[in-house]
This record gives sequence, C-alpha cells and structure tokens, in this order.
Amino acid sequence: MKAVGARLPRYDGVAHVTGKTVFVDDVRVPGTLWVKALRSPHHHAGIARLNAKPAEQMKGVRAVVTHEDVPKNVYGHLEALGIPADEPLLAEGDVRYKGQPIAVVAAEDEDTARAAVEAIEVDFEERPALFDVRKAFDPDAPKIHHWGNWYPHFEGEKDRRQIRKGDIERAFEQADVIVQGVYRPAAIEHVPLETQVCQAVPEPSGRLTIYSCTQALYFSMGVVATHLQVPLNRLKFVGGTVGGGFGGKVDTATETMCSLLALKSGRPVKWRWTREEEFLCSSTRAPWHMELADAVTNDGWILGRKMLTLHDSGAYARFSPYGLTKHSFHHTGAYTIPNLEFDGYVVFTNRVPTTAMRGFGVTSVSFAVETHLSRIAELLGIDPFELRLKNANRIGDTSPNGVVYTDPSAVPTIQAIADAIGQELKAEYRTMTSDPREGEWLPEHLVAQVADPKEH
Amino acid sequence: MPKHTGRGFAAIEYPTGMNQNGDPSQAWIKMKPDGRVDVFSGTADIGNGSKTIQSQIVAETLGVPYDWITYDNSNTDSSPLCTGTFASRATFVAGNAVLKAAQKVREQILEIAGKELEIDPSDLEVIDGEVVAKGAPQRKIGVADVAAAATWTYGELITGTGAQLNPYAAIVDTETGRVDLPPHAAISYAACAAEVELDDETGELTVTRLVQVYDVGRAINPTLVEGQIDGGAVMGLGLGVLENCYPYYPSVEKRGDQFGAYLAPGIEGLPQLDTIIIENPSEGGPYGAKGIGEMANNAQPAAIASAVFDAIGVWVTELPITPERVLRALEAKAEPRREGKLVIFDEELSVNAVGNGSVSFEVPA
Repeated sequence: MKAVGARLPRYDGVAHVTGKTVFVDDVRVPGTLWVKALRSPHHHAGIARLNAKPAEQMKGVRAVVTHEDVPKNVYGHLEALGIPADEPLLAEGDVRYKGQPIAVVAAEDEDTARAAVEAIEVDFEERPALFDVRKAFDPDAPKIHHWGNWYPHFEGEKDRRQIRKGDIERAFEQADVIVQGVYRPAAIEHVPLETQVCQAVPEPSGRLTIYSCTQALYFSMGVVATHLQVPLNRLKFVGGTVGGGFGGKVDTATETMCSLLALKSGRPVKWRWTREEEFLCSSTRAPWHMELADAVTNDGWILGRKMLTLHDSGAYARFSPYGLTKHSFHHTGAYTIPNLEFDGYVVFTNRVPTTAMRGFGVTSVSFAVETHLSRIAELLGIDPFELRLKNANRIGDTSPNGVVYTDPSAVPTIQAIADAIGQELKAEYRTMTSDPREGEWLPEHLVAQVADPKEH
Repeated sequence: MPKHTGRGFAAIEYPTGMNQNGDPSQAWIKMKPDGRVDVFSGTADIGNGSKTIQSQIVAETLGVPYDWITYDNSNTDSSPLCTGTFASRATFVAGNAVLKAAQKVREQILEIAGKELEIDPSDLEVIDGEVVAKGAPQRKIGVADVAAAATWTYGELITGTGAQLNPYAAIVDTETGRVDLPPHAAISYAACAAEVELDDETGELTVTRLVQVYDVGRAINPTLVEGQIDGGAVMGLGLGVLENCYPYYPSVEKRGDQFGAYLAPGIEGLPQLDTIIIENPSEGGPYGAKGIGEMANNAQPAAIASAVFDAIGVWVTELPITPERVLRALEAKAEPRREGKLVIFDEELSVNAVGNGSVSFEVPA
C-alpha cells in the first residue's frame, strides 16, 4: 500500500478526540509550586524603585525572581540572524507595555503566589505613550524605545527595509493610470485553546526538565540556555504536542522564568497563564499600515509599484524585522512587476510586542495587493481574472529581489478557481500556461527582465 | 432592498521555509529486531499533522506499512534538532530530513537482504514490508526477517540519520534588497473566491461560501491538507470580518480579555467551504510537496473585501469588515480623488494625513 497520497488517519487523532493526549497542563509532578507574574499596569513608565523583599518574606513563597536574578537578562530571539537584542526577560529600569513582566513568584499555591505579587513594591513614573505608527516619526512624538521609535538595525545600520528594482520613475511616467490606496489589517490574537503553560523540574543530576508547549523545542531550549548561560546538556525540553500555536508559541514566553524559579527554589514549578493573560499579555499578530501606488496601463499591465509599509511591532522588536523583510520579498504578490520601490519600517508602539502568526509578514500584503488589484480591475473595466493572469508569474519571471522563478503555479491556480466558480475565461486566458513569456504575453516592459533578471 | 449579494476573488503566493532559508532540521531512524521503525524528529506537532506526515514519508520510503512506524518528537535528549514548526516548513524541510534518514535505512535493508537472498542489492526493492527481487517476485524476504538477520546474524543496527539545510540567502545589497540565492525552499500558489450576503440597513455581512484552490505540490495526506485549508479559511474569515485585538486601533482601550469579548469564528454559521487541491510538484520537497499551512489564511480577507464591493459598491480597506465599517463606508460613499492620471483612494488614512514627520508617501504625478 502506498503511504504517500493516502488518506491515513492522524497519528494522534484518536488520542486527541478522546481526551487521552497528554498536554503540558496534564503533567503532574509532586511538590510543584505555582507561578504568578507581576506585570506592568502602565503602557509606558520608568521604574524608580523595585522591592521584592515583602513578597520573599511571605509564608509559602519559595522564590521571587527579578531582572537581578537573570544571568543574561536581555537576549534577542533572532540574534543569530543579526537582529540585536532589545527586550529584557524581566523589566529593568522601565516598562514599555501594559502587561510586561517585572517579577515572577513561585509559591505553594496559586492564591499565595497571587498575594505575593501584590506585595512587591514598585514605584512607577508614568511616561507618555505612543500608539499610532503614523505619528511615530513626528518631531514631537514621545520617544519610547532606546533605539528610537523605529528599528535601526537592518543589515547593521539601516533604518528601513528597501527593495529597488528597475526604473520606478520611468514606470510612473509611462503609466496611463496610477492608483493609490491604503490598507490596514488589524492585530488579532492567536487564540490557542491551550494558554501558555510550562512546568520546570530540577533533577537530582542538576539538570532541568522543562515541559513546554513551544512550537520549536530546540529554538526555545537555545533561548533558555542563553538567558541562563548554561550549555544545552543542562536542559531537557519535553514537548512536541501543542494545543494550538499559530505562531504564538514561537516566543519563549514562560520557559526561562520557570527555569529560574525552579533553580532558585529547588522545587518543580508550574506556570499556566489565565485566559485573561493569554488575551492581554501574550503577543498578537501585528497590525500593518500599507500604502500602495501602482503604475498601470489601460489594458491592465502593471508597470511599477511604489509601496510604504509601517509594521506595528509593539514595544520590542522580537521577530518583526524578520517579518518585514519577508513582507518586502513578497510585496508583488503572485505577479511580476519589473519596476519597484519599497520602503518598510518596523515601528515601535506601547502595545504588547507583536510576533509571528500564520502567514507572518505576508498575510498583510496579500490583503493589500489583492484588494488593490480588484480596485484597479474595476477602475479600468477589466476582468479581474484576466488582469491577474496577464501579470501572473511565469517561468523566467523574477522576484522583487532578482530571483528567477522556475516553477510558478499562479496561472493554473487562477484558471482552476475560475473553473470552480463557473467564471468563463477568454480562450487566450483559458489556454495560458506557466511557460516562459512570449508573443502578446511579453510586452516591452517585461522584455528587459528576461535579459537581466537582477535589474528587472 | 436591504439585502445584497456579491462575489470576489483573490490569488496569492507564499514561500515554504524560513525567509532567506538557513533553517535546518535533522532526524534519525532506527529499526527494531522485528522490522518496526522508530523515527526521532524534533518537529513539534501544533495541529499541522507533522507526526502523521513524517511517518507517511518514512513508511513510503522504506516500503513498510504505516502502522509499523513509531514517531517520537517528545524530547530533546533523543530527538535531534528541528528549527521549529513555523514558516510552513515542517512537511518540506523536516520532511526532507526524515526522507533522507529513511533512504539510508532502506539502503541497509537492501544490503542485508541482498546477503540473505544472495542477490545484488541494486536488484532489490521493498514492497509492502517485503524485500523482493526485481523481475523475480518469488525471491523475497520480509523486512522483519531482514531486521532479525541484522540483529542476530550480522550484529548490526539498521539505522540512519538525515538533515536538511537550504543555504542562507543573504541580502547582498541593502539598497536593492537583492539576494543571490533563492530565499525560499519553494513557493506555492493559491486562489480563493468568496460569496457574501450583505444587509445595507444593519451592515451585517455574511460570508456564505469560500471556494479555494491550493497548489500543494504533492498532497502527502489529502485529508490533512484539506484540514489545513479549511482551518485556514476559518482563520481568514476571522481576520476578514470578526477579529480585532484593538477595536479602536490605534487606541489600546476596550481590549477583549475573554472569549465572550473577543470575536473569533466558531463552528456555527461557517460558510460553505469548497476545497480543491492541485498538484504541481516542487523541485526539492519530499515527494514533490510544498508547505501550505500558513498561506491558508491569506487569501480570504481580500476576496471578501472584493465581494463586499461587488455587493454594495464601496471599498472597506481596514480589517475586520465589521457592520460599523460597512455602514460608515455606505454613508461616506467615498470617491477617489483624481489628479491628472492619479487616482487616490483612502487619503484620510495615509501617513501624509495623520503624521507630520520624516516619513511620508510621495508618488510622482
């Protein structure tokens, strides 16, 4: 029997639907302490004084951890990719979003842990906050991040992600019509049924076993090892079965703090976020602000595109520089556009840091590009299927950054959807293939890219 | 007439694997003395079905039944590195790692079977758990017997490791964003058509049908692929018409902090979902597969926005398309500003209208 292509049952399906699967929250370890976090009540504030002693002295409290207890408090998730660190594990000096963790407590029960959090003394000095990415560049905008209000470290020192291709001025000159629009998809929650949860167990060997709901065991293990400054053989991550992630469990939200508390108390600890914490304090999909101007001809060729993207990163960078770069690589959608000018900024605001979510970086641009093309088709009075098929990627067309497409399938997918909904296509569109452009499908503005794919 | 219907569509593309690549996955496989197979991979299964998919790839490559496979991704002591389950990479990148490990195991099975049958291994193949001589199917030995022979006769462990790493595609020019290597493992394409019903008195928008076509390269398991596409459609529906962490964005006030105060789609009232898989095999994926897990929620919002225009003649370009936004758009009936050959929509939303800083959006007229 062939296995590939077969409708075999899910490996873990029966266990899931009968409630037998063991998720992190199902793990039971005797002697476990419960964890609660002190979180910032302000969107932006300085921390003038932090005194955890009253909590430490409470009956039933076994450990309190603040930034002072973290061997390496500031560590970036993507330092290995050249994205420097900006976010402390536990706040130090200031808080930049409501819900930011300042201290964590491990106690014999949840009520004691909650009471201990309230006993921690903090003096805040509230500061003005920034929420609108469009105002982040204003001379009088509050300064909310030590790097400035937008990320300045693309390839070291560049403050935006750029794409430049072809000759944008010429494309706009030659256009019959230039269509501008603004597109703003919202922040959304990942909404996993399993909230963030972690159990960390100190072993007699001196190792730590960390039961984790991470989407990336080794990635999260690396994050914990770096914060703790220990080699990987000190840690064992147990997991691989996740109750909903959608990108929200790539951030290593709980594992490091649980590890620190387990080491400090010498006891197993468990932290299970409440639904309210999951909604209010966990990262979200980013809200995006995108402005497009397309230079088009009356017969539906897209000669050029100018685009500005402001990616609302929230209070820290996390994966946003990566997401914006991916966004820029895909800002032409399923189409070949030989003349491009893209500028994108990762903008900081005083909201919960945004992060990866299903379709990261591209979900936004798919909405913008496709709504924009539908508008253009409507303005020009052109069939929206034909507009797309005409400009759809073909073998030999090039990506925004000069990579030649070798096996695009834009044409057959668009033909298939037309067929599925009973949309008649003219013969020349019905018989179109992904083969390299020629004849009427190779207009003058696309000739150059065949000769010189890097430039066009 | 308060009720209007409309149809819109969108076509999209999406990369498989981390942007710019450089994201390794590793796997190892060992065989028990009765031929049963243990697969160790570090890929977390977040509901994407990677336990099933990777087990199918191993079963296919070894030629043994699917239920011979035990898959273990439970911990970092026994499973080797997988960069993670994100970037639509689990089937393609991690799938290639288990494929390569399985190919090595298969070579050892054939080698030991060759000794037992006194046939050159290149003249053997594995079918349904038996090693069979090509062209002479009566000459055969069960994989279970091969594993036993390896253990008890030859003193060997049948095992194999595999790793997949598509090289990192550095940006070689920060001005142009140019790269010299492909920045993706593969690219997949999809299209979505949305049908909506809209009440112009209440603003209520109902998505009645989503038709979706996905090029998955090769469907390792069509049922799981359909699950990804249908699940993605529901998330795309949430993004398009329901969900918003910040109902008064950019303000952070009035955030929903519980299910009753945050509108995510449920199983009730879902549109009709028609899902079509097409297979345009990828060049480097296991058995031609591409990753489509993430892109499954990317096409619906634009298809819905176009369907809304088709129904009532106004564009809503801020998501989600709530009844309030529909009614405001109907009230404004905004026409684009025309200036020479410029047609300018949504001017009031532009950074030019709201900010007064160093970044603006200037278009040559």
